[in-house]
Amino acid sequence: MIIQVNNLTKRYKNHLAVDNLSLAIPEGSIFGLLGPNGAGKTSFIRILTQITQADEGEIFFGGEKLNSSHVLQIGYLPEERGLYKKMKVGEQLLYFAELKGMKGSEAKSRLKYWIDKFEVHTWLNKKVEELSKGMQQKVQFIATVIHQPKLLILDEPFSGFDPINAQVLTDEILNLRKEGATIIFSTHRMDSVELLCDHIALINRSKKVLDGPVHQIKQEHKSNLFELVYTGNTISSNPVFDAQEIWNEGEKRCVGIVPNQNISNRELLLNLMNQGIEPISFREKLPTMEEIFIKTVGISNLENHEENLAGK
Amino acid sequence: MKKIWLVSKREFLTRVKKKSFLVMTLLSPLLIVLFYGIIFYFSINKDVTDSVKTICVVDAGNHFNKQLKNSKTIHFDFREITHKEAIDRIEAGLYYAVIEVPEELKEIKTLEILCIEQPSLGTLDYIETQMQSVIRNSKLASNGINQDLLNEINQTTVQLKTLKITDTGVEKGNSGVTTFIGFIGAFLIYLFIFLYGVQVMRGVIEEKTNRIVELIISSVRPFQLMMGKIMGIAMVGLTQFVIWVVLVVVLSAPVSQLVMNLLDVNPEIIAQAQTQSQISSAGQESIGGLGGFIADLGQFNFLLIGGMFLFFFISGYLFYGSLFAAIGSAVDNETDTQQFMFPITMPLIFAFVLAQSSVVNSPNSSLSVWLSMIPFTSPVVMMVRLPFGVPQWQILASMASMIVGFIFTVWLASRIYRIGILTFGKKPTYREIWRWLFMSN
Repeated sequence: MIIQVNNLTKRYKNHLAVDNLSLAIPEGSIFGLLGPNGAGKTSFIRILTQITQADEGEIFFGGEKLNSSHVLQIGYLPEERGLYKKMKVGEQLLYFAELKGMKGSEAKSRLKYWIDKFEVHTWLNKKVEELSKGMQQKVQFIATVIHQPKLLILDEPFSGFDPINAQVLTDEILNLRKEGATIIFSTHRMDSVELLCDHIALINRSKKVLDGPVHQIKQEHKSNLFELVYTGNTISSNPVFDAQEIWNEGEKRCVGIVPNQNISNRELLLNLMNQGIEPISFREKLPTMEEIFIKTVGISNLENHEENLAGK
Repeated sequence: MKKIWLVSKREFLTRVKKKSFLVMTLLSPLLIVLFYGIIFYFSINKDVTDSVKTICVVDAGNHFNKQLKNSKTIHFDFREITHKEAIDRIEAGLYYAVIEVPEELKEIKTLEILCIEQPSLGTLDYIETQMQSVIRNSKLASNGINQDLLNEINQTTVQLKTLKITDTGVEKGNSGVTTFIGFIGAFLIYLFIFLYGVQVMRGVIEEKTNRIVELIISSVRPFQLMMGKIMGIAMVGLTQFVIWVVLVVVLSAPVSQLVMNLLDVNPEIIAQAQTQSQISSAGQESIGGLGGFIADLGQFNFLLIGGMFLFFFISGYLFYGSLFAAIGSAVDNETDTQQFMFPITMPLIFAFVLAQSSVVNSPNSSLSVWLSMIPFTSPVVMMVRLPFGVPQWQILASMASMIVGFIFTVWLASRIYRIGILTFGKKPTYREIWRWLFMSN
């Protein structure tokens, strides 16, 4: 575990931003920190980046209690981001690296590495304001990773990125993971989570409502639904399963199948075959992260809402 | 400490590398010299700004004996006209004003001046002075004092030269030069605090609106960022100041030669200045004796004054600069700053205005002493007081309170700053800012 969070609480004047949060982030993972806007993701990240301090609880970084020496090992791309517009790209990137605590010579060689990688030598002596928005986004990304952080924290990284740069970013995130970095990925957009994350924590109203490896969460939230595409006789519900047509294209039909009894897939398939159909595909339908997100957040929001009403 | 240094290095380099820095550094002394040159020029050549005013004096009783002297801008015309003619001629623009002296009057105490617009105080003062001197002279003459004796009496002047008792003996003092030295120091400090204080504020707002600040404070503490910025900009100011000093040293010889030449070419101007300003004998001396002026400069303890200048220059800037940084952090754009700027600029302007009047006139009054103890006003006021001689304990007390003062404002500012830079949106109220002071991180 690169990050271990125990019972973290952060209070602001009128509200609780983080409420008794505990979670663990495995080393080398891409960890999705999910939740609706205002759930407390950014508050948690600001504690992790030591911009603010928690009121209660503790964080361990690689087994050590989080302290200022860890700043060098963390790269942070805030949701609200920007660069010094009047400063040259090269000077600016070196400045950020040195602020993190890198030595000048080391920073220069890392700068060269990224400049080579993105093939952007001509930018070094340009002021940021002379670059296009897409170019600035690349510079912003280099600023986040130039000091080779072990832990990369990206807050809504794709917001404001055009599709091409979003792809570059995705590739680089995967690359960095391959090189051993751990990535925390905070977002409310589920499509990117599906693609990248292997672990997630879902935060809603300052509380963690769900966490774990993505595949495990999907298993836990599956509704035991199978999707069958076939031709031949029309399938109808029977004592073994419920069937509901999803679509049909002439001969070809698709039905959703929910077994009624605890039967194995093999038995289910045999039963289906006996109905005289010609199967084209058969697969278990797992919920998407978006569905899990809406289901979980929706329910807990509803509960909170009711609690509030009851409280009044 | 290393991070403060990194931040201040960036602040310094990005500012000094700008073309505008070079232009302002070279141009602003020229502009200041030009500005004062113009004021000096107009104060000597008053007629450039004033047209000639002709005053008709109806003096049938011959009280003034046609002896009122004309100046460059005020001419007297003795003529016997009726009251109606007087009004007509003023309306026609022939006369600026008419003074009718009643013929039967024995002793002149009040007279009436007839005119369209309210004459300036200077004009009235000149006419009154002329009339008084004519009447005084005629009174003296009628009492048997002849003209030659009168001229001799009128030329009597007395000058006081100061001798100051100090630890090392008796030193020659000079109020004119003293005022000059103190004032230059105070002016520079005032200018420096304002110019660079506002730059600190702008820099903070820029980082905030650029949204770069969150990225930076994930690497450095807000306090380090704030101090780095304040120090970096201070270095810019000191650099500029050093360049100015070098320029003055290098250019002072040729420029003063040029001024001398100009004065030689135009001796009339000096003569006029001397005859016109009857009161300012000190002024005559400073124009007449540049050599004496420079000799007087040598009387001062420059090590003390220079050292104190540097101390108040830096501590005054730290004191105000951190407050400016706090303002910058609390708002999102410059238009919102005004409400917060007011209470901070007020004492500074107040100090500067008082320094020019009350403090210069009585540098050791209790008002002056108190103003030089309060950190809000002491950098400016102490500089004005110093050349007049200030007791050692007062200097030390003033320095101590200045140090306590800026430590306090830096602390205060850093409390506001750390919350302010991450607070976007609505402009905070004073009450909210007050709460920020006691908020935990």
